Amino acid sequence: MDIFIKIIYAAISILVATLYGLILIGIVHKIYARVHRRIGPPVWQPILDIIQTHGRKVATSHGIMFFLGPVFRMAGGMGTYLFMPVIFGSVVFSNYSMAGDLLLVMYFIFFGQLGMALGAGEGGHPYSPLGIARGLSQMSTFELPFSLAVISIAIQYQTLNITTIVAAQQGGMLNWTLFTNPLAVIAAMISLLGMNMHSPFSLVLAPQEIPIGPPIEMNGSFLGILQTNRALFASAKLVLFMNLFFGGATNLPIMMLKTFSIYMFSVFIGAAFPRFRPEQSFRFFLRIPTLIGILSVIVIAYL
Amino acid sequence: MVNPLYLIIISLMAGFVLPLLDRVNRKLSLATFIGVLLANTVITGFWMHGFIQADLGTLSFSTAGFTAPLSINFQLGILEAFVLLAINLIGLLTGIYLLKKFNESPLAGMILFIMVVMGANGLILTRDLFNAFVFMEILSISTIAIITLKRTNESLSSGFKYMLASGIASIFFLLGVVFIYFFSGSLNLDFININFTDYRLIAVYMVAIALLIELKMFPVNGWALDVYESTDAGVATIISVINSTAIAFMFYKIMPLLPSNFLYIFGIIGALTYLMSNLMGLKQENARRLLGYSSIGQMGLLLASIIFTAGLEPVLRIMIVGGFFLNHLIAKTGLFWISGLIKKEKLKDWRVIRSNKSLMIMFGIFIFALSGFPPFAGFWAKWEFVKSLLAGQNILIIALILLGSLFEVIYMFRWFIQTVKGEYKEDELSIMPSGKVILTTLLGTLGFGLGILIMKNYYGFNFLFTLPILSLLFIYLIDFLPAKIKGIMSLGGLAYYGYYLYTLVQFENPIQILFGVIFLVGSGVNLISTLNRSEISKGFYGLLMMMIFSFGSLLIARSYLEFFLSWELMTIASFLLILRGKNAQKASLMYMIFSIAGAYLMMVGFGFAPELIGSSALITGLTYVQLPLISIILLALGFMIKSGVLGVHVWLPEAHAEAEADVSSFISAILLKAGIWGFLLVAISVVWNAPQFDVYYWMGWLGVFTALVGAFLASFQEDAKRLLAYSSMSQVGYIIAAISMLSHLGWVSAFYLSLNHMMFKSALFIAIAGVYYRTHTRNMYEMGGLIKKMPLSFISVLISIIAVSGVPPLSGFGSKWLMYSSFIERGWYLQAAVLFFASAVSFLYLYRLIHTIFLGQAKYEHKDVKEAPVWFIIPQYIFIGAIMVLSTFPNLLIKPLSAMASQYFNSNIVIDGYNVYSSYGHWNGNLIMLVTMGVFIVPLFFLILFIGKITKVKQFNIVYAAERPESPQTTHVAHNMYAHYRKALGGWGKPRIWDFWHGSAEWAHTMGDFFRRIYSGNGQTYLLHIILFFVVVFFLGV
Amino acid sequence: MIETLILGFILLLIGLYAMLSQKNIIKIILGFSIADTGVHIIIVSLGYLKGRRAPILDSAVDIANSVKEVVDPIPSALVLTAIVIGLATTALMLVFAAELHKRKASFSIDDYKELKW
Repeated sequence: MDIFIKIIYAAISILVATLYGLILIGIVHKIYARVHRRIGPPVWQPILDIIQTHGRKVATSHGIMFFLGPVFRMAGGMGTYLFMPVIFGSVVFSNYSMAGDLLLVMYFIFFGQLGMALGAGEGGHPYSPLGIARGLSQMSTFELPFSLAVISIAIQYQTLNITTIVAAQQGGMLNWTLFTNPLAVIAAMISLLGMNMHSPFSLVLAPQEIPIGPPIEMNGSFLGILQTNRALFASAKLVLFMNLFFGGATNLPIMMLKTFSIYMFSVFIGAAFPRFRPEQSFRFFLRIPTLIGILSVIVIAYL
Repeated sequence: MVNPLYLIIISLMAGFVLPLLDRVNRKLSLATFIGVLLANTVITGFWMHGFIQADLGTLSFSTAGFTAPLSINFQLGILEAFVLLAINLIGLLTGIYLLKKFNESPLAGMILFIMVVMGANGLILTRDLFNAFVFMEILSISTIAIITLKRTNESLSSGFKYMLASGIASIFFLLGVVFIYFFSGSLNLDFININFTDYRLIAVYMVAIALLIELKMFPVNGWALDVYESTDAGVATIISVINSTAIAFMFYKIMPLLPSNFLYIFGIIGALTYLMSNLMGLKQENARRLLGYSSIGQMGLLLASIIFTAGLEPVLRIMIVGGFFLNHLIAKTGLFWISGLIKKEKLKDWRVIRSNKSLMIMFGIFIFALSGFPPFAGFWAKWEFVKSLLAGQNILIIALILLGSLFEVIYMFRWFIQTVKGEYKEDELSIMPSGKVILTTLLGTLGFGLGILIMKNYYGFNFLFTLPILSLLFIYLIDFLPAKIKGIMSLGGLAYYGYYLYTLVQFENPIQILFGVIFLVGSGVNLISTLNRSEISKGFYGLLMMMIFSFGSLLIARSYLEFFLSWELMTIASFLLILRGKNAQKASLMYMIFSIAGAYLMMVGFGFAPELIGSSALITGLTYVQLPLISIILLALGFMIKSGVLGVHVWLPEAHAEAEADVSSFISAILLKAGIWGFLLVAISVVWNAPQFDVYYWMGWLGVFTALVGAFLASFQEDAKRLLAYSSMSQVGYIIAAISMLSHLGWVSAFYLSLNHMMFKSALFIAIAGVYYRTHTRNMYEMGGLIKKMPLSFISVLISIIAVSGVPPLSGFGSKWLMYSSFIERGWYLQAAVLFFASAVSFLYLYRLIHTIFLGQAKYEHKDVKEAPVWFIIPQYIFIGAIMVLSTFPNLLIKPLSAMASQYFNSNIVIDGYNVYSSYGHWNGNLIMLVTMGVFIVPLFFLILFIGKITKVKQFNIVYAAERPESPQTTHVAHNMYAHYRKALGGWGKPRIWDFWHGSAEWAHTMGDFFRRIYSGNGQTYLLHIILFFVVVFFLGV
Repeated sequence: MIETLILGFILLLIGLYAMLSQKNIIKIILGFSIADTGVHIIIVSLGYLKGRRAPILDSAVDIANSVKEVVDPIPSALVLTAIVIGLATTALMLVFAAELHKRKASFSIDDYKELKW
């Protein structure tokens, strides 16, 4: 019975996060449009899009792996979200965080990416592997400052358990990692730019070069699932950052407020900067952010 | 027993009688000739037998009715008997070898041959210095005269050069002898009892230098090379073996007269000769001359060993000097004989040897013997020699000898590989079976038997340690059977062996069981893939079983020597297995060179290690000893070479790529673990007896960077097997780093990763073997879209790469979790970050592997490709099944592994049901698996329910920017997939280590070429060398 | 006898010098012979003791005290053997020289260095 309730909680949690993510994407579109001096779509447009894509009667499939790609992707998003406690102290939103710690979440992010990469690969379109190659390469580079930041906070809090990390940050803003370990947060936030794949790091989707890259062959429900996942995954990542660096959240509004702010960071930068070329992006992450990450580890561990 | 004087008398009489007999009939004289040699052998054989049966002491035989010092006396002890028997036996065999030649040439040849043997016998027996001079002259003059058996410009001029050198040598010798007499009043070695110090030194010095010249020490040996190159093969044998041995023995006899500082210098000269002649041999292309260089080198080694073993107990000294001596004797005789059969000058022309199977095997035996591999005598000698040198702190000598040995291995194996793998056309002249071939085979068998004899009788190795060799021989006997039968037999044998080890040997430590699973169970499953072989596959299973049994021996080795022996047997087997690959020449040579270098490091490392107490397995024994730092470093380096750590990894991709498809998986998944096993043993010894300097901290860094560089290199490969090879390098880097942490969690993760790596890398290599079997290419960009043709292989690769990458829920995540937890817990933060980076990079190559082979656009030429054969599929799915089970129930593995590591460290992980808690975090593999399945199934059902109608489309039905792609070649993104990353890395992406090793190789060859220019070919230059040598060495000594 | 000893060494050095400096094979052999002779002279002069008698035990020598009266006989005995061996060596060298000349019609040692390195 316990498990049953747990599953229901998880479903609620996921639903909330997905809707929230979709709205977030809608807001981003709006912001971009305003920066471009357009009116832009309404904020609920992503929800309409998903309904529309799922409504297609025919879907073109290139094979089993192609079919499974979006499933993997969605599973990755759901898993990443489910292995994290979203709201500190909430039973409904504690998810399955007892299954593992921060390392599990970091690695589960790859699950969906890998599965999607495989599915897109079977699509046979040359833009898919091009985008994936870019994405994997970039991922490896921003993972370095991010992991340094994670190590830094692991040293700081002497744990990798996300709930414990959040607990340690309670009791006022000044207890947030942002203020107790600013170097780590800087490194991680720069990595987040890469993770969110907005400009200048929008190498993977890069509409003008490899039109939307990996999902190029995706259509119908496949695309629908991907879009759903994009929302869920975005909120999962933001929740992770919120938990690690910004004191977590004790209720839903705080969670939304914090994640929204974190997201806006990359949105604003994305709206302001043009895209890097791949090698420029890789080099960028391997230089300053990595250095900051190393510094944060050294400062925490040895000073 | 017969008075040894008859050795001389019979020969002299024969010298007079032979011309008369020859008048009657050539057959008669030939029979007499052989009769004399046979009589010599029989006489010395009886003496040897007598000495072995009873302790006769040292016997003295006087002449002319007086006792010494009034007359010349002969001394015969076990040592003399042994050397005499050896050279007379070689004399007899070479006499037989030359019979045809003698039948065709003037009688003088036979007489001279007998005189050479007689001179050598006399030189060994006599105790009188002047008599020694006479015998030496007889020996030299008859040797030189017999060179004219082959009358070419080259042989004559080289004979003349020899004449000049030996003339000068004899002048020195004679003067020295006379001065010794003048100073001491005696010519008899037993009665010279003054010290040759101050000005009297010159007397013994001259004698010694004369002998060094005759022994062809560097650099006074140019003439000898010319002789070796130009003369008849049989004659070269007697110069290299009989002549040199007698003179070396003479040197041994005058050693008591020499002051110790000079002895030391002569010893260095010996070692230097070994080094230099092998260095110069590197550039040699003429087979005969190469053998000359090698002979000279061996003599240097022999001289050094005679000098530096002076203080040892006699048995050990015989083991060392006698070992080198017999090894040289048999191997060099054999090689010279083969050179006579082949009649080709160039090394690369020796490939005709492939027309005669047994000769080829003998060639291999001689090469392995000369390179000091077990079970041949040279192996034992080298082991004991290095040990004794270390005891005497003679590091310089060890360095010279091991470096020389390395060079020798390089050219010997380059030659071997060229010979057995070179392009050979059937219509080329072939070697017919003949008496000479049988003789050579006999000799090789003798050498082999001798080695086994030493192994069994001197060291008393038990059956298990000889098993690798026996299995090779046994399977060689049944080699005519089809591969499948041999494979199934091997599998059965292996199963019994594993059972035997498990039940009867009783492992002392659970870690042995873990590695037993990796080595033996892993090999067993891998073996299934070899059943796909349809041809007879001669030699394959013998070598394979030899390798596998050597792994087993490594586990249970109780002494350093047992371990090292098994290690070397494993090297032989794996080298030959790699060599079986179609284009494996370069790869196998590199493997050999690096293996040997590693083995030498290990040998010295073991030499420094203190004696073990008791007779428990190394894994127990090593915990109780304090290894000195130098020993730790050398041993660890040796093992790391075998596991392909950064810096010495260059052999690894070559060997993996070029080995046969089903061999690569053994190399990667199991052979590399042998290095890990060794590394672990060293680490175990450090746990309770840590050295002052924290060397493991730096090894940890090395491991970490191995992981990173390996991952990058793998990402930039086009060849699937090279990619996997670099991936192995990367994974081994993780393991090395984890072991180096010397912490509980670190070791748990190392064990976990070792086992995991064995499984997923086997599966991957076998899958690629299957793909290669169907597509005949290893270049990934020549494949694509195979998922539809080979779905089973695809699934196995998919599961494996998820396991490699560490993505949950599969077992790979367990290793990542353990690893990062342990690194952070240990305080190795930056190392952990590098590992994070490395494992992120590993996604690049993993995706590349699966995408370029199985996904994307299929090539036209692969449209009829079928799924891999069932023999490839079965082992893959066994491994995949195991991975799935361990992923779902990780505690099946974590619990025992934790217990293994807690023998050495306090456990700081808590296992509670399916939960594993470290001090930093927790992990519940079972729950992860369930959640993952759940989140996977939900969208899957959703998709299946709501997708509506699915249209399946054909190839190229894609949105290609509104144009229809023309061919797969333009549409499949595969070649140079990560070009942008390479560009981003800039200068960091250059293959510097590769360049370094290439540079070193070239440098060594250039040095060799530079030094060999001193051998200008001019007899007078050689004379000048001798005079300068005389002066310089003297002043060095003073 | 120190004078002959020195003479012997001078001959030895002359011989060696000749072997090193002369290009003609025959002259090199001659050099060897000279050096060899020098060695023989050295041997003999090492055994000679001034003012003593020949080592023949006849009536002229007091047998009981012979050791103090006669010169050392052994070097003389040795030198005979050494001369014979030297002869053989020289002869063999000359044979080689002749054989070489037969093939290349040259006595210059510089012409016989096909084999090198």
